[in-house]
Amino acid sequence: MRAAPLPRYSRRRALGVGAGLLLVAACGGSAEDVLTPEADAGSLRVVMGLAESEWRVVREVVLAPFEQQTGVRVVPVQMEAADLVRQLDAQVQAGAVSIDLFTQDNNQLAPLVAKGLVEDLTPYADLIPAETPQALRPVLEFDGRLYFLPYRPNVQITYYLEPHFAQYGLTPPQTWDELLAVGRAFEAREKFGRVVIQGVPGGPVGVVVTEFLWQGGGDPLELTAPGSARAFEFLQQLEPYLSPVYQTAKFDTINTYLASETAYLGQNWPFGADVIVKQYRKQGVGAYSGWAGPAGEFHVLGGEVIGIPRGTPRREQALEFARFLMSRPVQEALVQRLAWPPMRDDAFGAVAEWQQPFFAAVQAALRQARARPNVVYWGEVERVLSDAFRDIVTNKQPVPPTLARYQAQIEQARAAAR
Amino acid sequence: MSTAWTPGRVGFYALAALFGLLAVAPLAILLKVSLSGPEDVLVQHPPFWIWHPTTEHWAAVLKPEVIWPPLRKSLVVATGTAVLAVVIAAPAAYVIARLPRGWRYGVVLALLFTRMFPEVIIATPIAVTFLRAGLIDTDIGLILAHLIRNLPFVAWILVGTFEVIPRDLEEASWVDGNGRLGTLWSVVLPLALPGIAVAAIFAWLDSWNDLLYAIYLLLAERTLPLMTYYFANRGSVFDVATFSVVLTVPVLVLTLLLQQYIRAGTLGGAVKG
Repeated sequence: MRAAPLPRYSRRRALGVGAGLLLVAACGGSAEDVLTPEADAGSLRVVMGLAESEWRVVREVVLAPFEQQTGVRVVPVQMEAADLVRQLDAQVQAGAVSIDLFTQDNNQLAPLVAKGLVEDLTPYADLIPAETPQALRPVLEFDGRLYFLPYRPNVQITYYLEPHFAQYGLTPPQTWDELLAVGRAFEAREKFGRVVIQGVPGGPVGVVVTEFLWQGGGDPLELTAPGSARAFEFLQQLEPYLSPVYQTAKFDTINTYLASETAYLGQNWPFGADVIVKQYRKQGVGAYSGWAGPAGEFHVLGGEVIGIPRGTPRREQALEFARFLMSRPVQEALVQRLAWPPMRDDAFGAVAEWQQPFFAAVQAALRQARARPNVVYWGEVERVLSDAFRDIVTNKQPVPPTLARYQAQIEQARAAAR
Repeated sequence: MSTAWTPGRVGFYALAALFGLLAVAPLAILLKVSLSGPEDVLVQHPPFWIWHPTTEHWAAVLKPEVIWPPLRKSLVVATGTAVLAVVIAAPAAYVIARLPRGWRYGVVLALLFTRMFPEVIIATPIAVTFLRAGLIDTDIGLILAHLIRNLPFVAWILVGTFEVIPRDLEEASWVDGNGRLGTLWSVVLPLALPGIAVAAIFAWLDSWNDLLYAIYLLLAERTLPLMTYYFANRGSVFDVATFSVVLTVPVLVLTLLLQQYIRAGTLGGAVKG
């Protein structure tokens, strides 16, 4: 069969489309657009994972004053916590580290230490201000060595939609029993669960399950302890009354679930207030620290710490910037502008009026916060907790034998880490 | 030609309409969300129509400092990838297409073999190599990374294209005094244009949508998928929807412009003797 040749005008049009695209692409470039390594050889690359509204404030109250004081240009880079690990892994392996300092979610530090991606900051321990609360220090160390510096403590708080609680004469749950009762009440009246917990495997489930384990008197590293079994039994009991969307709930989706009234009660990090109340203009959103289990109320200490990649050529400048981030003026500015709880006891500031109830909830939750176990195999523990959550809570497998099986996996991870 | 509405004809149009609806619905929803206020989206039963229209999400996204750098980056990289992929793969594919059947079959299988490795696994060593070469935050770095997975695929498509072009035509051209290169340029390439267009579209789309290598190889710059990913993590559903529309429109335009070159059978015959 002979292939029919295309008409000449079609060929011209095809070439025109291609040439047009190239032209658009080529004309768009400018010297300023492309940040070549040579062009910013003297500047400091700082990685953070922030929303645009947070970046605006950080540029204004952190980066600009630092540049003015020191004359060092700071290049801000947006990156999510998991991507930072991948990016740094490649850069350190290549011996071409171009990130000079990062702030990282303190629940995702273990891979950075386990892979040897961060500088040992033990010789710089005196950089930590004396006003730093003792509670914040455990997350900075692994095996007795200091790898991180404190920056920004954080904790999940509980959001609830006041009109729906008022509609059914309910009050926000303060205990496990009340949580179960509220879940049952919503499900009975609306035939749809309205309580949501973060059920996405990995970090989200890791935080949720760890908090329930502590509240039940258990331990995320000792799943066969009676308190651990109690926590999983409670979660199993609660599951039928949860909103079905809990399996896709994590730090970003849960904001949408609450704002769209798919769920009336859920826990998330404080940035959720900015999204739900300011961006989504949701009214009647209340917040409080959360509920207590048989052993009390506990929260996972989250937030961010400062790290310096191994092999950065600008380590001294990075340390100077770290010192600046921990300074009292910066911490006070971050409280006032972003309602971020400070990492030092002497930093105070008045937050905006609309943020006050959420800030109060954060302060209350922080008083009950503790650091998750600082073990380099925490990533494996999160996987085990997620698998156990799936088997026991979602798939209703029996609690004791399932936990025994997963405890064996934790023991293996612990032995491998040794 | 009969225009009677037979059951088969009705069924065909009904199916076509259904598939068309399925294809358009996601984009329509994205567009709706991007033009709606929270009252039309963040409720238990969102209305079908937009009752609280707003352009604030578009105004935020269309600020030059927000949209232009990632748009420029994505256009440069996707176009560069598509052009280079075709320029490099076309001669190779022509040679492969003219190999004896057994050899051709082996080479085509080898091309496909390179696509079998999970990219997440090979991305780190590739990124390490590129970082050592100083290719971070550069257009050419990302283009080369995208060529890794696009070259075999484009070559595979073009082998199928070239091998269905009869040798008789080339021989006739030689008799007319055209050399090999002249024949390739004036006879073979024009006939291969539909296949080349298909290959270029695939390479362009693949590069346009890439997130994995962008995460590894970009620090201070972003592509459009990286921006969408960022807003998915840190922004609102309105930001995500608006950026998703921005990401989709060039794809639609390009596909509409080039679809006339896509003909049945273009992809066929890649391994035929």
